[in-house]
Amino acid sequence: MKAFTPLTSLMHSIYIAENDLRQSFKSVRHVVWSLLFPIFMMFTFSFKYGATGPDIQFIKDFLIPGIVGMTAMFGSINETMSIVWDKSLGVFDRILAAPVSSASIIVGKTMAGAVMGVISALVLLIIGSTLFSVAFANIGAVLIIILLASFSFTGIGTIISGLASEPREAMMLSNLLRFPMMFLGGVFFPIGAMPMPLPYIARALPLTYATEALGAIQTGNPFTVFFDAIVLLFYTVGTILFGSQILMRIMTR
Amino acid sequence: MLVIWKREKPLENAIEVKELTKFFGSLLAVDHVSFEVKGKEIFGLLGPNGAGKTTTIRMICGMLRPTSGTTVVAGFDVSQKPQEVKRRIGLVPDISNLFGELSARINLEFMGKLYGLNKKTRRERIDQVLELFQLKERQNDLVKYYSKGMHRRLTIAAALIHQPEILIMDEPTSGLDAQTARLVREIILNLNKEGRTILLTTHQIDEADRLAQRVGIIDRGRLIALNTPEQLKNSIQGMRALEIKILDGIDQQKWLPILRQAEGVDNITVAEGKIRILSKDLSQIIPTVVNVVNKHGGKIENISVAQPSLEDAFISLTGKSIREEPMSKEDYLKRRLSRSGMR
Repeated sequence: MKAFTPLTSLMHSIYIAENDLRQSFKSVRHVVWSLLFPIFMMFTFSFKYGATGPDIQFIKDFLIPGIVGMTAMFGSINETMSIVWDKSLGVFDRILAAPVSSASIIVGKTMAGAVMGVISALVLLIIGSTLFSVAFANIGAVLIIILLASFSFTGIGTIISGLASEPREAMMLSNLLRFPMMFLGGVFFPIGAMPMPLPYIARALPLTYATEALGAIQTGNPFTVFFDAIVLLFYTVGTILFGSQILMRIMTR
Repeated sequence: MLVIWKREKPLENAIEVKELTKFFGSLLAVDHVSFEVKGKEIFGLLGPNGAGKTTTIRMICGMLRPTSGTTVVAGFDVSQKPQEVKRRIGLVPDISNLFGELSARINLEFMGKLYGLNKKTRRERIDQVLELFQLKERQNDLVKYYSKGMHRRLTIAAALIHQPEILIMDEPTSGLDAQTARLVREIILNLNKEGRTILLTTHQIDEADRLAQRVGIIDRGRLIALNTPEQLKNSIQGMRALEIKILDGIDQQKWLPILRQAEGVDNITVAEGKIRILSKDLSQIIPTVVNVVNKHGGKIENISVAQPSLEDAFISLTGKSIREEPMSKEDYLKRRLSRSGMR
């Protein structure tokens, strides 16, 4: 049974992603609030404890990479959460009733999540580097890492959306994952300085690899960047496959 | 008026449902339901809340997989060719599910894109439906600022963007004020006049009576009757309805068990503050009722004889009034399961 050509399916996905992002950007307040949080965090942590002023080296090699990774995480997971809202508001039915394949819906939602992650991360990157006048060494590598990270967070978002039956549950589930990730993922505290067994937990989180890779780009450590990129790729494939499976199952019941 | 999707030979049956059954776990929501919707007719599925109407519709639209049974829409089996079916039907759900953060025009744009319409066709159709539903002036406003009636109109408009030959409407007028409900009914009749087949569900008997050419009565997941509204009313031919109001406090409900015992009472319900008694023998029932009420110390304030309505037919078939039934826990669960997004 072949209902659509690959191009039609792809177009369906693009329309769904476009529609999702259009709604997210429509609400200016929403965009501003979601960016204020990482900006505020960046500002606060730029004062290293005990130091008299901002430590530029720390900001450049550690804080900005960490905040950028974290913002990608928040952006992607939040955007993917729209699935749960759509379900609870009934607008998901609108898409389900249309002649669109389940795969197109999942790809569309994934695209929206990844795009949102990349855009928010880039905004923070620009704000951070302008504010503290630091430059990124290799912007191409930075983009690849942000993209991979955003896709893997989107995968996590789809898993949460598939498991949660209503928005409040989804919020709780996502906070359960996001907050530990934020504090253990090498955003504010270096993994090397963590007491045992926290580094092991940190090594299980995709955010750790994103922040580490972004930091390694700054300090010029290509092997670490490469290794982390591979791990993120595995995370992306794993979470997206698992997430789509859950979504597919409830969509084709 | 809109131009409908042209078909060389009109379909005899637009929708054929055979032995459709749906279990949610161990909960039986739809129980071997079979019916046909003929081409170009308005078919009403009438039943109380939780009867399985929405579940049935979702299975017809290919949004829910039946446990067993088959559905053929416009000649396509829903389980084999769901996309072909979806292309040919327009669904108006019971809740107006539009993207509130987007304008009416962009909502319609999105639907047009999903149905594969090109840019020019989209623009034309959107202008057409906005005009038809009198939403043109507010087309660029965010939908969340729309009134209930406008929401409803836009929801119907969105279902027409791909000019489907079959329109499926779930409770099209529920929750609307009288004026908007009338407008929506007019729209439905007009759409049918253009040659569109319409399947609608309702829990309002007068709506089924007014709109539908044939009515299927569904109760607890089972289709218990299927006929024209006239035939359904005739099925209780010979019965007459007696409406009384008893002057004793306000609660007419407490008279039900007392009057039910009376000889000759076939069915009894309370509707709109009046007790409605169905009986075959009116000459006998009037004195009996008067006696019973007197014996129990009540006074009859008002008594009148009425022609049996579709509601009476419903009562005699299901043994209960459609309005009085509170939703049971099981019904609530079924409702949640059938409506929770993707299920």
